[in-house]
Amino acid sequence: MAALSSYSMPTEQPAFSFQNQPQSHASGGPTQHSFYPYTDNGGSTLGISGSSFTIIAGDTRMTSGYNILTRYAPKLFRIGGEGPEHAGAKIVLSVVGFAADGQALQERLDMVVKMYRYQHGKDMSVHACAQRLSHILYNKRFFPYYVQAILGGIDEEGVGALYSYDPVGSYEREQCRAAGAAASLIMPFLDNQVNLKNQYEPDAPQGLEKPQLQPQPLDRQTVEELVRDAFTSAVERHIEVGDGLQMMVITKDGIEELYSPLKQD
Amino acid sequence: MTSIGTGYDLSNSVFSPDGRNFQVEYAVKAVENGGTAIGIRCKDGVVLALEKLVSSKLLKKDANKRIATVDRHVGVVHSGLLPDGRHFVSRSRDEASSWRSTYKAPIPVSSLANRMGAYVQAYTLYSSVRPFGITAIVGGYDAETEVDVDGAVGSGPKSGSGGKSKGVKEGGPYLYMIEPSGLYWGYYGAATGKGRQSAKSELEKLKLDPKDGDCISLEEGVKEAARIIYVAHEDSKDKDFELEMTWISAVSGPTKGRHEEVPKELREEAERLAKKSLEGEDEDEEGKMEE
Amino acid sequence: MNHNPQAWGRPRDDVYGAYNSQYLPQHHGGPSAHPTTHTQSPIVTGTSVIAIKYSTGVVIAADNLASYGSLARFTDVKRLKPFNRKAVVGFGGDVSDMQYLDRLLSSLDVQENYSHNNDDPEDTKALMSAKNLHTYLAKVMYKRRSDFNPLWNSLLICGLDEKNKPFLATADLLGTTYSAPTLATGFGAHLAQPLLRKAVPDEEASQKLDKETAVEVVRECMKVLFYRDARSMNEYSIAVVDEKGVELKEKEKLENQSWAFADQIRGYGTQTV
Repeated sequence: MAALSSYSMPTEQPAFSFQNQPQSHASGGPTQHSFYPYTDNGGSTLGISGSSFTIIAGDTRMTSGYNILTRYAPKLFRIGGEGPEHAGAKIVLSVVGFAADGQALQERLDMVVKMYRYQHGKDMSVHACAQRLSHILYNKRFFPYYVQAILGGIDEEGVGALYSYDPVGSYEREQCRAAGAAASLIMPFLDNQVNLKNQYEPDAPQGLEKPQLQPQPLDRQTVEELVRDAFTSAVERHIEVGDGLQMMVITKDGIEELYSPLKQD
Repeated sequence: MTSIGTGYDLSNSVFSPDGRNFQVEYAVKAVENGGTAIGIRCKDGVVLALEKLVSSKLLKKDANKRIATVDRHVGVVHSGLLPDGRHFVSRSRDEASSWRSTYKAPIPVSSLANRMGAYVQAYTLYSSVRPFGITAIVGGYDAETEVDVDGAVGSGPKSGSGGKSKGVKEGGPYLYMIEPSGLYWGYYGAATGKGRQSAKSELEKLKLDPKDGDCISLEEGVKEAARIIYVAHEDSKDKDFELEMTWISAVSGPTKGRHEEVPKELREEAERLAKKSLEGEDEDEEGKMEE
Repeated sequence: MNHNPQAWGRPRDDVYGAYNSQYLPQHHGGPSAHPTTHTQSPIVTGTSVIAIKYSTGVVIAADNLASYGSLARFTDVKRLKPFNRKAVVGFGGDVSDMQYLDRLLSSLDVQENYSHNNDDPEDTKALMSAKNLHTYLAKVMYKRRSDFNPLWNSLLICGLDEKNKPFLATADLLGTTYSAPTLATGFGAHLAQPLLRKAVPDEEASQKLDKETAVEVVRECMKVLFYRDARSMNEYSIAVVDEKGVELKEKEKLENQSWAFADQIRGYGTQTV
């Protein structure tokens, strides 16, 4: 029935030649805004933490519908550090969703972290920064920043830290997280490869009690390869992902940035 | 009649029995001690020049500019109490900017002078305030070409009603001087500050009135302005000074209708000529003495 | 006459009916139920703006048409606005919002010139670059969208950055910003961008491109846009920004048009095959 009703049958009354009937304002209610303040700029991000490092990655394509707006729009941002170049920063924020909100969020968090250093004379810890980011998002819950954020760094024990967020500030620390357009493609892959879900002791006998493989901390080389595999595969299956892969590796020594091309189709 | 001890000089808004406002006259005294400032209205633009007395050797050279840009096409130079001048400039900028937002066009120099004159005069009326301790020289160029009313859709009709009338030109270079009383006149050449007397007598020698035939060009004006500031400085030769000069031409001229600093090369050339002409005078005097 | 002086000289309610205050503003007794309303759609609009970076500068172009729906309403509207000798802004979208932004930029320029003069070589560094201007405009656009009162435009901001390197970026009504060696707004994103990207696929290619080729590519794109965009016209403005300053031409005509392709088109109109 729904399919039928979208087609308007010829009637006796004068009709419009186009499908969309004008909305009636005769009801007396106030005119509603037709302006929608959000858009989706596509792309995907991903973070994995190890025992002494955290890797955050994202593709560099930015889209609007079927248009590629640009092939290089980074979704990864250094937070804190000195000056506009963020020298010495040890926290990375990745944002995917509505790019303008992502930019605004990045600028706010960066300002907060820099102010923290000016006022307290020490760098903000990742877990403090993570909590603060949650507050920033939650404070705008009635007009949210339309982004999925992932925050990465090294915690006070020197262990890789990774936090993931929803648009209104709900957050948790995780081992790995994929976000954005291809999250549904990448996340199951990470579950299987990082947390070893659905992998069992190969030598154990078949049956209900077959023991699961226990996840072990991964080394940097393995994680980098996982990230590359995740993105090259996502590029094949998702039109909003591609062009370039940007990776930031956070260790106790700072942030190392890597870039490699992805398919442009 | 002296003002001291009579009580009539203690407040604005009180006249002395012979009809004077002593507070305003004291403000004029403040101006008379300031560095000389002049303005010359030439054929194709206006020059503003200032003898900036160096109050300390610790100040950076050529920094701390004193001639202010008020709007694209208007500059202000003042002599007297510096902070009062700053406030005058700030108010002028507000007036110019609010004119733009109301009329979508640059403020005519005459209107700016009128408004600032009214503003300065208001500070002579109330006992709660004191008059401005400055005399300001306002120079500007009202565009002769039909200015593109910014933001206009299209260029409008070429002729006829709402169009342009041929051969009629408005605008040109304008120069005004506003005194602490709020009094202002339009001038061909204006001078204020310590060396105003000698500056004025030099200005009077220049051809500035268009009714007397061709008056001096902007570039000549720049050179004369530099010379006059050097002449005016003769009386306080013991003090160091820097010459600050700005100019405004028509859209077709060297500054493209904007108020700008005179380019370094031209200013240095003008200063060189100014020094030379002074040396020439000295030599003449020495020559006479020998005779 | 009655004993209520406030009613004297006013139309009598029993004769003329009560005064209809419907259209008065709220503080004069107008209806109070209405919320504040803002622009909900653009009215008079400009179509695409296109731009390309080359080795030492940027070329930008937009046609001179302002449309009122499908009516070609104003045919001499200049949509490229030079800000200073380092930056030009190209406006697509609502023309009244463009005029507002133009006035905003004029007052910004006046304020910029309060503090410094252009002749001092040290001051050139302080001259607002295209990058600075883009940041400013992006914040204006984002603020307005966040207030639900958007400026209905797509802007291309081009020129030189603070290191005098070519700069090109965009900002739109949502406050979205991005940068690329070639950019096109509106219909240009579909029609011109592929042609521009063919000439300049990446940043490296744009650093090798010379000015003449860049201008030629842009002119070719303006032609294609005129062929296929119904809200376009054959007179346009084109600007080149490089270290020498802004070179703006506002009355360019499309040349060497070729409509030979027209009779190859099948699928519309009355042709039988």
